[in-house]
Amino acid sequence: MVERRTMLKGSLGAAAFAGLQACTPAARVAHASTPPPVPAPGKKVALVPIRVTPDQLIDVKCCIRPLRAAGPNLGTETIGDRLIVHNYGHGGSGWSLSWGSADVAVGKAMSVLPGEIAVIGCGIIGLTTAVLAQQYGLKVTVYARDMIQRTRSFRASGSFTPSSRVALTEPAGPAFGDLWEQMARFSWKAFRTCIGLPGKPVEFTDSYGLYDAPPQRRTRTGDPAITDSYATKGVPVQNSEFAHLDSRIRDIVPPSIALPPEENPFNAPYATRASQMHFNFPSYAHMLLTEFFGRGGQYVARDFATPAQFAQLKEKVVIHCTGYAARDLMQDPSVIPVRGQTGWLVPQPDAPYSVHYRNVMLLSKADGVAVMNLNSNPPNLGDMFGVGNSMELPVRADIEAGLKIIAPALLPAASA
Amino acid sequence: MSMARHLARALLAAGALAVGAAAPAPISTRQGVYDEAQAQAGARLYATRCAMCHGRMREGTYETPALQDRFIANWSKAPVKNLYDYLARAMPQFAPGSLKPEETAQIVAYLLKANALPSGSRPLPVDGPALARIMLEPAAAPLAPKAASRTK
Repeated sequence: MVERRTMLKGSLGAAAFAGLQACTPAARVAHASTPPPVPAPGKKVALVPIRVTPDQLIDVKCCIRPLRAAGPNLGTETIGDRLIVHNYGHGGSGWSLSWGSADVAVGKAMSVLPGEIAVIGCGIIGLTTAVLAQQYGLKVTVYARDMIQRTRSFRASGSFTPSSRVALTEPAGPAFGDLWEQMARFSWKAFRTCIGLPGKPVEFTDSYGLYDAPPQRRTRTGDPAITDSYATKGVPVQNSEFAHLDSRIRDIVPPSIALPPEENPFNAPYATRASQMHFNFPSYAHMLLTEFFGRGGQYVARDFATPAQFAQLKEKVVIHCTGYAARDLMQDPSVIPVRGQTGWLVPQPDAPYSVHYRNVMLLSKADGVAVMNLNSNPPNLGDMFGVGNSMELPVRADIEAGLKIIAPALLPAASA
Repeated sequence: MSMARHLARALLAAGALAVGAAAPAPISTRQGVYDEAQAQAGARLYATRCAMCHGRMREGTYETPALQDRFIANWSKAPVKNLYDYLARAMPQFAPGSLKPEETAQIVAYLLKANALPSGSRPLPVDGPALARIMLEPAAAPLAPKAASRTK
């Protein structure tokens, strides 16, 4: 065993990436029997390629991001004699902002000194809100139609993307940036406390961007020929309307760097690399549920037909976290559906990295390899992709088409 | 909470349904609140507007609710109006608000029939106050209150 370990350490230079991930003895043995990939001539690094054949595709899921033009609703209202604190409408940023948004909502709930609260909804926002409220000393009952595993949250992709379709710049107004930054920084710290836990609920992996031409900085200036906007249409009509706030936290979130040709292990002329934080849904849900029930939380399976039913709950303070369902339940037409679809390949722990190329993304996580095909007609829709689309039926053919597009780039790199 | 609902609760608690209560008395879905033609029209609509997500046999998926059993339990002990309004506002999810009132009533009738609730001689109404008086109850008789609790 000692000799084998020594031998493995020797090979780490060539396969640093695969080697670093092999943290258990069992994995080490597996690697000893599978030789690490050998760099192509002229290359310093090689990666185990992600297998993207259609036989690996085991699931296709759809979800609807609840984009709210003004940003998440964190307002309060009273129904009967109940204080309702809203916490919904996080677009494609629900997971990423979950802790910070919960902190704001629970703070407002605590302003009336409740001993116990109700949380409506058990997606990532509801469950995180419930656990944080418990950490702050409250007794919590979650009322929800489904446990987190069957909510839309579980049909996301699982990357830390805190400003993905989270608001539109104009309707959100100038103050939103500060609130967003507060929530993003709080969440980042909370996720950091989950790194390295059993089952890897949160982890970092390398994320590669591949390009046929030298990558350009994205510009987001609006098309002056388009005079319509959210203000006239009730939905955004172009990318420049979306709030992009990530630069506010660039001091903590690793940037993307250009790779020199000898460090680009892919079959594409140009590559960038960034460290990306992501969430493994099964272990993350297990972690939250274990804490929730461990702290004495109660879960009640039930539906709500109208907000008036909140006033029938025994708790005087209610935090409402129903995500896209709030569009109907709260009759809030400012919640705009943004369809998203992911395919899932069998987990490939030997190839734990993500790649995007020609609008197709692969994200290899402990819970599977998420596949997204963002190619559209018309092309390059960007943030507008899926806007206004509330069809939640998956389309497997779109994922298979995406796998075909990205497959050639995953072949061992041609010599530089 | 509506007056109808208060009444219904009191009646249900007493184990007696709409017998000699003050007008307008609540009615139960066990009393034949839709007619066959309406349910058949609803079945045709279901096939084209609902089945692609909820399944041909209303079986649902892991992600999309089935439209029987637990579904009926979830909407029970409340006016049919709740279910009607929800369908009218939010379904089909890819085109919410696209069902006409009579179509919504037809689909509700179909779902009641599919869940073994009997038809009657008159169609399910589309007007709010009338729908608010009809309480949704499953076909089976309820268990003893203790055993029926779903909160643990």
